[in-house]
Formats: sequence, structure tokens, C-alpha cells
Amino acid sequence: MAPTDPPPGVVQASEVHDRSGFEEEALLHAEHLYRIALRLTGSRQAAEDLVQETYLRAFRAWRRYRPGTNLAAWLATIMRNANLDELRRQSRRPVQEPLDDDGDYYLYNRLAAAGPQPQDEVIARLSGNAIVSALGDLPPNFREVVVLVDVGDFTYADAAGILGIPIGTVMSRLYRGRRLLKRALADQAGDGEAA
Amino acid sequence: MSVDPCRGAESMMQPYIDRVLTEVEAARIDAHLRDCSYCSDRYVFERSLRSAVKECCCEEPVPAGFVERLRRRCSDQA
Repeated sequence: MAPTDPPPGVVQASEVHDRSGFEEEALLHAEHLYRIALRLTGSRQAAEDLVQETYLRAFRAWRRYRPGTNLAAWLATIMRNANLDELRRQSRRPVQEPLDDDGDYYLYNRLAAAGPQPQDEVIARLSGNAIVSALGDLPPNFREVVVLVDVGDFTYADAAGILGIPIGTVMSRLYRGRRLLKRALADQAGDGEAA
Repeated sequence: MSVDPCRGAESMMQPYIDRVLTEVEAARIDAHLRDCSYCSDRYVFERSLRSAVKECCCEEPVPAGFVERLRRRCSDQA
């Protein structure tokens, strides 16, 4: 313990001010957390409830936050645990999904199969709704890694800390999650062509 | 033992876009992308897809009054 740390349980005179400062600083991350929550839960109401539960837990545990560390990642860790508790409550357990080795360029190759075309035309064929829907359909343990890194801009190390898993597991879930996402988008694009 | 450079680039593409490769590994991919239109087309696509995922997940506005509601509920239950 550093010499300046108060003994556990000792309330410092500046604590009230510190807590209100903590709350204000934490609330600056609310919209960022909401966007992540929206992709984890798939509904606005569930996302809002999840963020609220996150802040209630964070404010109760505020002394455990170490100033100077990544507050967004600390809050995201609490949110992930709250979300897991909710999933357990609903008895929806994260599942693993097998993945064929169909290559990282699978989506591009499928979309470009009709003939050579510029990349921006290929990407323009994917609608935002298709992407959101495909992301929402990913198995939860892949979706949470893709959402944290690709939507929430967390590093691999942050995501590992938030999820309580090794960085290598973050990398493999990210790799598989992105591949599943692309395969789902390729299938949707194929359905669109067939319609 | 030689490895097909396009296969090598494909296997490194995601960490390359994530900027987590070492300088030496990234320089090898840089050099390959300069010389290979097959892979550079796909690199541009992968990067655009990453941006598209982020944009479509962040473009929906946060509900009106969300932060104020959150602040009120937290202080009610404190």
C-alpha cells in the first residue's frame, strides 16, 4: 500500500467532494456505455436499464476505482458483469459457435462475385440495418468482444480486463466474431440477390 | 519453407487494421499491399467494413434526456 493511502474503512474529509467528482466524471461515459449496451442487449429499454444498473453499482463501489486508471474500462467491466447477471437470470447462457475456415476475405469475395467493382460500391451494398442485425445475431461471447473493440474502441488489453479473459482469448473471439459477422452479411446479401 | 504472401497477408489483416502488429510485421504487410492489388482491394474493404460497423452502431441518437434520467434515478436510489 502506498504511504498516502488511507487505511481501509477510514473516511477522508474530502470524500463527499471526491464522490461527487467521481460521479460527474463517470457520467461523462454514459452515452458511450449506452451505445455498447444497446448492441449487447438489442433493445433501447434493456440498454437503458443496463446502464442504470451499471451506474448504481459503480456509485456504490466508487472507492474501488483507482484514479488515473481507465474509468470507461472500469465502468464497462461493471456493465459486463451486470449484463451477465441479467443473462443468467434469464437463463440464456453464452454459447460457442463452430466456424468453418472460409477465409478472412469471404464477404468481399461473395459481394464482388458478380464482377470486379470498386470497394466503395461493395461496401455500399451493405445496409446499416443489415450490419446491426448481423451483430445482434452473433453468439453473446463473440458479440461482446466485437462490440467492445469495434464499437467501443477498447484495446485488446482493456477488453481482456473487462471480460476477465486472457488477451489471446480476446483475439481469438474477435477473429471468430468478425468472421461470423461477415458470413452473416454475405448470407443476407445472397438472400437479397435471390429475392 | 515459403508461404504464399497473399495467404500471409490475409491471416494478418485483422491485427494489421487493429495496429497491434510489430513494426517489422506491419512493414511486411505495407510492402505487400503496395505491390498486390488483390490484397490492397480487400484491405480497403475490410477497413471500410470496420468503419461501417462502428458508424451504424453509433449513429442512432441516445434517447432524449437519457443522462438526466440516469442521474435522477441514481440519486433516488443512493
